[in-house]
Amino acid sequence: MKVTIKKARIIDPSSPHHLLVKDIAISDGTVSAIEDELDPGEGTVMSEPGLHVSPGWIDIFSNFNDPGHEYKETLESGARAAAAGGFTDVMVLPNTKPVIDVKSIVEYVVQRSHSLPVSIIPIGAVTRNAEGRELAEMYDMRNSGALAFSDGLYPVQSAGILVKALQYVKAFDGVIIQVPDDRSIAPQGLINEGIISTRLGLPGKPSMAEELVVARDIKLARYTDSRLHFTGVSSPKSLEYIKRAKESGIRVTCSVTPYHLFFCDEDLLDYDTNLKVNPPLRTKSDMMALRRAVAEDVIDCIATHHLPHEYDSKVLEFEYAKNGMIGLESAYAVLKTVLPELSEDKWVKLLSLNAAAIFGLSKPKLATGQVASLTLFNPDTRFMFTEKHLRSKSRNSPFLNKEMQGKVKGIINKGSVVLNENN
Amino acid sequence: MQLSTKHLLGIRDLQPQDIQIILDTAIQFKEVLQRPVKKVPSLRDITIVNLFYENSTRTRISFELAEKRLSADTINFAASASSVSKGETLLDTVNNILSMKVDLVVMRHSASGAPHFLAKHIPAAIINAGDGINEHPTQALLDAFSIRENLGGLEGKRIAIIGDIMHSRVALSNIYLLKKMGAEVMVSGPPTLIPKYMEEAFGVKVEYNLKKALQWCDVANVLRIQLERQNQVLFSSLREYNLAYGVKRELLDSIGKEIILMHPGPINRGVEIDSDVADSKQSIILQQVENGVAVRMAVLYLLGGGKVQQN
Repeated sequence: MKVTIKKARIIDPSSPHHLLVKDIAISDGTVSAIEDELDPGEGTVMSEPGLHVSPGWIDIFSNFNDPGHEYKETLESGARAAAAGGFTDVMVLPNTKPVIDVKSIVEYVVQRSHSLPVSIIPIGAVTRNAEGRELAEMYDMRNSGALAFSDGLYPVQSAGILVKALQYVKAFDGVIIQVPDDRSIAPQGLINEGIISTRLGLPGKPSMAEELVVARDIKLARYTDSRLHFTGVSSPKSLEYIKRAKESGIRVTCSVTPYHLFFCDEDLLDYDTNLKVNPPLRTKSDMMALRRAVAEDVIDCIATHHLPHEYDSKVLEFEYAKNGMIGLESAYAVLKTVLPELSEDKWVKLLSLNAAAIFGLSKPKLATGQVASLTLFNPDTRFMFTEKHLRSKSRNSPFLNKEMQGKVKGIINKGSVVLNENN
Repeated sequence: MQLSTKHLLGIRDLQPQDIQIILDTAIQFKEVLQRPVKKVPSLRDITIVNLFYENSTRTRISFELAEKRLSADTINFAASASSVSKGETLLDTVNNILSMKVDLVVMRHSASGAPHFLAKHIPAAIINAGDGINEHPTQALLDAFSIRENLGGLEGKRIAIIGDIMHSRVALSNIYLLKKMGAEVMVSGPPTLIPKYMEEAFGVKVEYNLKKALQWCDVANVLRIQLERQNQVLFSSLREYNLAYGVKRELLDSIGKEIILMHPGPINRGVEIDSDVADSKQSIILQQVENGVAVRMAVLYLLGGGKVQQN
């Protein structure tokens, strides 16, 4: 395999070529040369005005539903969706069937992903069957390839269990990921509690249900001096707590989804089930505060919360529809569209470098002699996001037929080149 | 004149003009109902399905009677005796019924937004007969009709809605309608049964003290305690509810004015309203039931293709 990328701007602070426009040659999965001008010779040539190249992007919270719910997504289809969205690495949720709570399931995911162009890294469950009662064999899972631990869509509710889990993972410098959600508050809640839920006659769930868990879990992280990551944070108050905790040296980090930056509860007036997510879409002012927080470094990284669902789980009464949307393919366009002024430098930190640092994924830098794990993207391209851009098995995206800015060209990873051609 | 909408999903989507048309049309149908021959041929050859995914006695009977008085062909579908128990989806069920050439769907469903979902996917006109805790538009229309009959109009009138506001689709539809028609609205009940954002969402007053609410209003619309919809403990006991929020004779005697009492039914006697009050001359509960048929005839007639002559 030989690929030459012509006139691409390199975005990688750890590279000597950071922010420079260069030609890059890749041979057999390794960066063989970076020069002002390279003669491509044989092999594939990529040339496009405005092309950018960065270390491969990482998504830290996607559900590929494999094993168990292969009609929603498989490791193969999930990998295709990830590649289309520019992600070379995806951390997948343990909410499969069976749950990823023992070594054998971790190994299944690791081995089945071996030949795929995307690196798929399992998140092990914190508790057995993600039921929040007994600790799962996290040490064993860690040694088999699980990078972080979380009960995923069913966050640990008991403070007693979580404190033990946080202590337990310190033995191997593990990180626990929580979706902050106190499920005892408004268990029937379907959307954010506020003016919109009241007007729509839908049971509301207050942002307090999220803030309580953030506040509580920060205390647990402080007590244990362990590492905790909140994902899907949607309330400005939560961010305030996280910011203060970081300032006082507590080892917490956080991520937001692209959709919480794009939509708010006012978009639910039509009862669109694709917008049914947890934590729910908050108010417009919350959404704006979240956007500011992304720009102001409060948020460490982006997590797509790619949750594929088949037609029958989404095309029905709002109350009965499943939570979540797919998000890998659209992530960058969504981000760039809501915050076009943010530099590519900043986006690469949010999409790759920060997550790599938090979860201990060593990403090779963009320099000669290094393994090529790259994302190619074009921040200025405007396009209509349509079904032809989807690679997931599922179609539950509210971004379809939206005009957006910022397009992913493809990835080069594990010796493969995957490009979004002709769309 | 015609309605600005093809469906009646909720009062939320109606213009004040639509409400006016429906209420005025209902006057004519109420007159029809006083005649010895109560049947008119307005909806002949129109087929209506009454799709009740949730139990209902009076609303279903009221709709059925309204449909029969308009000479429509009707079929009834009750969830318990249907294929719902076999796992059929709402969309499948309705499409199956529609393929038998049905023109109008009257639907009650336990999920908020279910009729809106259906409206996006099927061609027939839909009348919402109550969805979850969202809306019950024909109830609000018949309540407004009854208030208008007794007080001559809605504008500037003070209506207190009392009881379980949180789980009540009647409350929400009433609030939308009354605000659109220029009435003043207050809600009163235990704080656990009143949504937190009531004032911000609708500009209604919130009053936790029942006596103050009764003193303020011209009409008190007392809601049923929705025992079946409460999945959480929201008040300690029915006895205590009656002590704090039950409408009682001595309370009414103490406010120094005569107000009108309404209730959408069915009544929990001795819980939200005492029997002697419910059956008193202040109460227009049975008048509401009677008006329900006329108002539903008006809605069916207007959505079934009928036009109102402008005079």
